[in-house]
Amino acid sequence: MERRNFLRLLAGYGIAGALPMSLCTPAWSAEAQRFLITVNASGGWDPTDLIDPKGNAMRADGLGPVNHYAASKIKSIGNLYYAAYPDDVEPPATDSPGHLDTFFAKHHQRLLVINGIDTQTNGHETGTRFVWSGRLEEGYPTVAALAAAPYASQPMAFISNGGYDFTGALVAPVRTASAGTFTSLAYPNSQYADNPALRASGYFSEQSYRSVDAARQLRLARLQQSETLPMRAAQMARLATVRSSELELDGLLGLLPAQVSGGLKGQAEVAIAAFASGLAVSANLNLGGFDTHGNHDEDQTAALTELLEGIDHLWEQIVLRGLQDRVTVVIGSDFGRTPFYNTGDGKDHWNITSIMAMGAGITGNRVIGGTDVNFEARNLNPDTLEVHSGGIIVTPKHVHRALRDFIGVSTELDNLYPLNVEKLALFA
Amino acid sequence: MKKSIQHGLILAILTCLLALSASTHAATGTSMPTFVHPVLTIPRIDVEGYGSLSLRLVLENEATLTFAIAEAAAAGTGLSPGATFNLQTQTLDIPVVQVGAEFYHVQLRLLPGDKFQVSLADAAAFAGQATYNAQCATCHGSDGLGGSIGISLKNCATCSSASVLSAKINDTMPFGNPSACVGTCAADIAAYILTVFNASTGQQASAVLQAIDTMPLATTLRNASLQLVSRLPTAAEETLVSQQGENGLRQALDGMMKEEAFYDRLSEIFNDMLHTNRYLSTNGAEAALQLMRRFPNARWFDPGVDQRGTDYQFNRITTNNSVATEPLELINHVVRNDLPMTEILTADYFMVNGYSAKSYGISNVQFTNEWDANEFRPARLTNTPHAGVLSSLMFLNRYPTSATNRNRARSRVVYDLFLDVDILALDGERPDGTAVDISSPSPTLDNPDCVKCHSLLDPVASSFRSWNLRGVYTPNAAWYTDMLQAGFASDVFPVTSNADELQWLTAQLVEDPRFDDAMVRIVFNGLTGQEPLDPPGEDATTAERDAWLAQSAHLDEIKAVYVADNRNLKTLVTELVLSPYWRAEGLNDTAFALVHEETGAARLLTPEMLHRRIEALFGFQWRGPLDQYATNRNVFSTARLLDSRLYYQQIYGGIDSFAITERLSDPNGLMVFVQERMANEMACYGVPNDFLASAAQRRLFPHVTTTTDLTSGQGQEAVRRNIQHLHRYLLGEELALTDAEIEHSYALFATVLQDGRAALASNAESSALPARCMRNNSLLTGASLNVSGGTDGRLRNDPDYTIRAWMAVVAYLLSDYRFIYA
Repeated sequence: MERRNFLRLLAGYGIAGALPMSLCTPAWSAEAQRFLITVNASGGWDPTDLIDPKGNAMRADGLGPVNHYAASKIKSIGNLYYAAYPDDVEPPATDSPGHLDTFFAKHHQRLLVINGIDTQTNGHETGTRFVWSGRLEEGYPTVAALAAAPYASQPMAFISNGGYDFTGALVAPVRTASAGTFTSLAYPNSQYADNPALRASGYFSEQSYRSVDAARQLRLARLQQSETLPMRAAQMARLATVRSSELELDGLLGLLPAQVSGGLKGQAEVAIAAFASGLAVSANLNLGGFDTHGNHDEDQTAALTELLEGIDHLWEQIVLRGLQDRVTVVIGSDFGRTPFYNTGDGKDHWNITSIMAMGAGITGNRVIGGTDVNFEARNLNPDTLEVHSGGIIVTPKHVHRALRDFIGVSTELDNLYPLNVEKLALFA
Repeated sequence: MKKSIQHGLILAILTCLLALSASTHAATGTSMPTFVHPVLTIPRIDVEGYGSLSLRLVLENEATLTFAIAEAAAAGTGLSPGATFNLQTQTLDIPVVQVGAEFYHVQLRLLPGDKFQVSLADAAAFAGQATYNAQCATCHGSDGLGGSIGISLKNCATCSSASVLSAKINDTMPFGNPSACVGTCAADIAAYILTVFNASTGQQASAVLQAIDTMPLATTLRNASLQLVSRLPTAAEETLVSQQGENGLRQALDGMMKEEAFYDRLSEIFNDMLHTNRYLSTNGAEAALQLMRRFPNARWFDPGVDQRGTDYQFNRITTNNSVATEPLELINHVVRNDLPMTEILTADYFMVNGYSAKSYGISNVQFTNEWDANEFRPARLTNTPHAGVLSSLMFLNRYPTSATNRNRARSRVVYDLFLDVDILALDGERPDGTAVDISSPSPTLDNPDCVKCHSLLDPVASSFRSWNLRGVYTPNAAWYTDMLQAGFASDVFPVTSNADELQWLTAQLVEDPRFDDAMVRIVFNGLTGQEPLDPPGEDATTAERDAWLAQSAHLDEIKAVYVADNRNLKTLVTELVLSPYWRAEGLNDTAFALVHEETGAARLLTPEMLHRRIEALFGFQWRGPLDQYATNRNVFSTARLLDSRLYYQQIYGGIDSFAITERLSDPNGLMVFVQERMANEMACYGVPNDFLASAAQRRLFPHVTTTTDLTSGQGQEAVRRNIQHLHRYLLGEELALTDAEIEHSYALFATVLQDGRAALASNAESSALPARCMRNNSLLTGASLNVSGGTDGRLRNDPDYTIRAWMAVVAYLLSDYRFIYA
């Protein structure tokens, strides 16, 4: 058993008292003042159709063009370059917040782009793990879990919408659902939770319910005390901890839209409401549809449009709650897609990808790193962060080294899940 | 006289121990006597004509080298004899005793007073020791515990016998130069490894297992019944177990594994690994059918938008799900028919029912009822070389490939699921992209950093060459020349073979002993909710090593029984259910707490398991108020623990086999609210409903009525008896009437009753039951219970507050650890 697994067993969820003090000390403050959102474009997005455009010049090796739009159509705004729509695809309406022109016009000043990241893999599972944990191997938590770890005793500290949500048991991932579901859980003793006028009508009187609750807690304590199997005792301890954490969902419900949206937008609404109500510290958002082995141009465009609409909606929610200076958003994907088309007009997996970041602490209108005409990663000078032939290839490890420093992951946690790579000031 | 007394000592020990042996955990493996001052441990002494025993002798007098008997026990039947006792000469002969790094041939003579005195102690040598140190120790360590390159040789996969290990060494070792040690050299090293490094394994494993208190057989029966077939044991099964003990339990389990419910559970267990249920209609109405574009009749049920009848939607969903579950149905078919599990990979057929057969255009399969969605039959597609699960359309699409991936993802999954090998963990971290030279034309062929993994990965990947990214069989398609061709391990697909590469591969896979390991892993995981322990790493503690040694030895024994029984999965399930790892109830020795850190089958019930447990105990599912149950019971979206959009399936840690493939194993803040709401609602629905039935038919309240006189001693005892029943029925707890837990539950009942009656008296509460707890309509038909012209069978009021007090007790028990974990 590795050391991190031992500590996991020692700690359990939220049993911070069992951990070294420094591991429990919130990196930001006793109450989270900063929040982290990761957005995963599941399946492997194509940066050349987004923020690392190449155009349709034929490749020297005859494999064909990288994109199906002319290089002359590549757009720029501020310091960012972004793709045009493929010639064979009907673009979304220009007033759609997911339209490339609309999106970048609105957000480029707050967007940091890191291009030419080598994921060293083209396997989905490995790719998402590397991109969101910084390590290719299993057993390393997503950075969102690291951000939430100091607040593990908060019952909804880390909200997960799927994708890579391994937490190393540092914090319990919470999956979410519709607003109606939240309401039913916010009032577990109510017969009519979704009807404010009848909400007070319970299955039990308040007095009876208090008696049941008290008896339940005492019973769990008795069981825990008499249990001799360590695993069961640990399970009971975690159950007791979670039960005593007194999750109040009322605040969250008050901040959720009457009708929570579907897809990425809905995930964004729940996450931001949970941040604003003090229940959550980090969240991973997840959107599928990017694994475009066939019919790439149309399907990738549709997925990217939905992604950008979701990000825009996320930002609007952040603004709505006044959290612009407290929420950092990192957007990425398993890896990239081949700089050429296969015989089915699709694109297969490619190990080079990009990451975008925005929000609190991020200096926007900035591009770091790059790729060549064949969408191969270019080397980076680790000091100046300029593209430089004698430099290094940036990997997700570098990104996470910088990200961990940026969000203030404690030294102890950092050592528990070491990255062992040079520091680049990617988020400085 | 003296002689007969001494004879009597040995025989008395043997007689006593052999009588006890049935309840003693048998240790396995080789077992070398060891001397660690002042204790001489002899794991197995054979006494000709009488049997075997194990002795621990303590050096009592160093000057005279006299030992006293400190402990005698039955010897593990799986141990090799390490000494013999000659009754005629009264001599204990121990050919090899390990003392630190040295070995001695020792003889002890039995003296009056049950003492043993050393009469001979000559140095002994191990033929294989010098060779081991010269050829093996660099990688495997001089202590055999392994290193960064070589695995630990303690209880290793091929350490099951001298012949197996000798053959392994002969064929493959030393790594890269196997011809350097063959024949006697290999046999001597095998003997050395087994004798020295595995000497105490059996004893340690035995001690570790003995520290586990296992649950009684009756409790095992209940837990197994709930987990395997989602019901309580029948009276006949309980009788079987009470009368025939373990043998009766085996018979009961055998019967359960003939039930359809078992195959639902089996599908869940295997889907948690395969995730082919990604194509169920819950992930898109035609998620599976969309993969069948080459089959013109895939959507046979659709006569066109304008012609669709009322059965369109049913046929559409049923057909889709019939196609989606095909690989899991193949596994069910193999298990149901007691076929060897190897057939899940080697089957030259796949499974269809009447619905999916139409989609595939298959007409030569005879169904008893072509409209019975549960009737799956083997079938073949024309010109398609089926290769069990691996050639399934669902498997191939769930794990697709691409021009760049070249089936390597499929290969990785094959290694993981069917050989229990994590390719990505084979050599630690994957080579850093900047540090690996990938400039050569074929780095996976000529760069050693890449070859390490690709030499394993690529031959299996190439064996999928005829199955394209959509899972379509495309024989003779061009394949890449710059990667290893179809093969497995050291075998290359014979070009002269007429078989398909994938069929050939599956034949090789099932011959590999790791296939059996993989089946043990999957079932162990399914039953306990945990992975078997990983082999200890370099920095592992002694407790972690002991834990792994004990568990892996025990699982090896189980595997051997399974393999011997024609790889019948039912045997594997039975043996695992009977194992101390599944039956662990507690520890009898706190010294083993660290070793048993992860022992036990306690797991948070999955939403599906909790759903079924509720139904098994209440007779109805958690779908909201019972007055609407007759309507709701067939509507998927009303199932609180199965529907993910409107209710709690994913909040409660469930998976969709698509975006979410990992179950949550511990509750979070929202999940405890789900538990709370479930307990409240089910108490509200279940308690009044139970009181509607006659006493003989009640599940929850056989000992009381709503009018039981609670002021009388008789009435109070009835309440206690009913509480005792509820603890047994809902939690599986066997408690005496005087148990403190009965009193705690009684106190809750009495408190709620007293407070409630006070509230009734002050009009703070009414005598009416909470509206959703009232029973107005039939559970089964929905018809009113107030029959016109007949009796009013409704239950709407609780004038004495008794029902609500019982509701409180039931809600308390339903949110208990022992209800929501298993």
